[in-house]
Amino acid sequence: MDAFLYGAMLQWKLDLRNKVILLTYYVVPLVFFGFMGAIFSSINPEAKNSLIQSMTIFGVTMGAFLGTPPPLIELYGSDIMKAYKVGGIPLWTAAVNNFISAFFHLFIMSFIIFLLAPLAFGAKVPENISVYFFALTVFIIVSLSVGTALGLLIKSISKLTIFSQIIFLPSLMLSGIMFPTSLLPSVLEKAGMIFPATWGLKTMLSSELRLNLFLPLLMIFLLSASINIYKISRAGIE
Amino acid sequence: MSVAIRVDNLTKSYGGHKVIEKISFEVAEGEIFALLGANGAGKTTTLECIEGIRGYEEGTIEVKGKLGVQLQSSSLPENITAREAFKLFCKWNKVAENMELFANFGLAELQNKQYKAMSTGQKRRLHLALALINNADIIFLDEPTSGLDVEGRVSLHKYIRGLREQGKTLIMASHDMAEVESLCDKIIILKDGVIAFSGTAAELTSSYLSKSKIQLKTKMPLAKQDFLYSTYMGMQQGYITVQAVEIGDALLELLNHLKASQNEVLDLKIERASLEQRFMEIATEVKE
Repeated sequence: MDAFLYGAMLQWKLDLRNKVILLTYYVVPLVFFGFMGAIFSSINPEAKNSLIQSMTIFGVTMGAFLGTPPPLIELYGSDIMKAYKVGGIPLWTAAVNNFISAFFHLFIMSFIIFLLAPLAFGAKVPENISVYFFALTVFIIVSLSVGTALGLLIKSISKLTIFSQIIFLPSLMLSGIMFPTSLLPSVLEKAGMIFPATWGLKTMLSSELRLNLFLPLLMIFLLSASINIYKISRAGIE
Repeated sequence: MSVAIRVDNLTKSYGGHKVIEKISFEVAEGEIFALLGANGAGKTTTLECIEGIRGYEEGTIEVKGKLGVQLQSSSLPENITAREAFKLFCKWNKVAENMELFANFGLAELQNKQYKAMSTGQKRRLHLALALINNADIIFLDEPTSGLDVEGRVSLHKYIRGLREQGKTLIMASHDMAEVESLCDKIIILKDGVIAFSGTAAELTSSYLSKSKIQLKTKMPLAKQDFLYSTYMGMQQGYITVQAVEIGDALLELLNHLKASQNEVLDLKIERASLEQRFMEIATEVKE
């Protein structure tokens, strides 16, 4: 347990030293928040009602889909895996530590948005703060599980860039964070339902815990977690 | 001396291509054992099968004792520091941080240096320290001195000899023949996945096809046809050069011939084939 905790803490520190990680977990989401927060709140005052949620969804989705997978490709696709194996470090710890570290980084980024949005743009604070943070926690976990699956399934950074964008961009456009999904053609509105961002926004906007909104997130989590467990159990076997 | 590692009929393929085929060998306890071969000969695969990193289709591997493995560079996250890596590996191996070991490899002054900023030699020293943290009985070294300066090399050789004196078994892959000759008790040369030579360094240099050179200066000139047991190579500055596999037979023939023809030796130089030449012959299969 001591070794595991040290590994998780170490991963947190390694992520803080990684400029790409800092960009995807903090800099870009917060700059986007500052820029879009100003635009949204000035052209459409109603956007203030969902500004915290939509900007948080953007930041978490970006961090999970673009920031979380590359360290996994670096680790599981290189001699680092050999070093861990011969050094007595279980291979699952790399993915789990990456997950834990990313969770805390994305939670901090989300908390910064939660604190700054009302002060900077007069954004509406969620009605039920405990429900909001529960939904945020679930959404980060589900998004990171999908991001981890991307990192474990895809073998190269160049392919990852393409696949991550294929999931990341529709997540933004079809989830309702940029504009209401009711404005979308029904086919695209339905397509948007496969992305965690769509359900993350709904759960974070809700003032109460509604199982029917969490169920799709649970299904996405179970699917991606199954992939992750399978891939990690196969790691290092030739 | 009991056996530390026994490999029997080991076969490993990648995509239907056999990288190693039915190789068998033993490594005795307390021995320094070298696995040599050209790139692609199968030595890394063999080592990784023994280390448990890779699976294999056929054969058996018996290992008696705890393993420690020194990998080549590029085997750690780029922004981890030397101290953090050392601590992480110690914690997972449930051993206290042995700072003496850390310092022995000159890592104390590098403790806050990130892996990406280390030189190849510094990375090798770190990997060697990591291989030794669990007080392993059998230590695998993959090109341990590659990238080290002379001082580092000498110091590491001393350390390797010290490990043998402690009764440790060492298996190394190396391209440095001088290192192999001075350190190793037994050598195996792999070629195309099979064992092409097995024995000591002395046996290797005194066997096979490589010819030692004899340079001879005589009072009266010699002709090509005067040599039966050796190959005439040419004449330069009054010296005739011949090559021979069996240097004793060749010398005897020469001296008898000189005696019979009442010739006189003015100068004689003998250049024995080196381990490197022998290795090249076996690894590249140059036959004359």
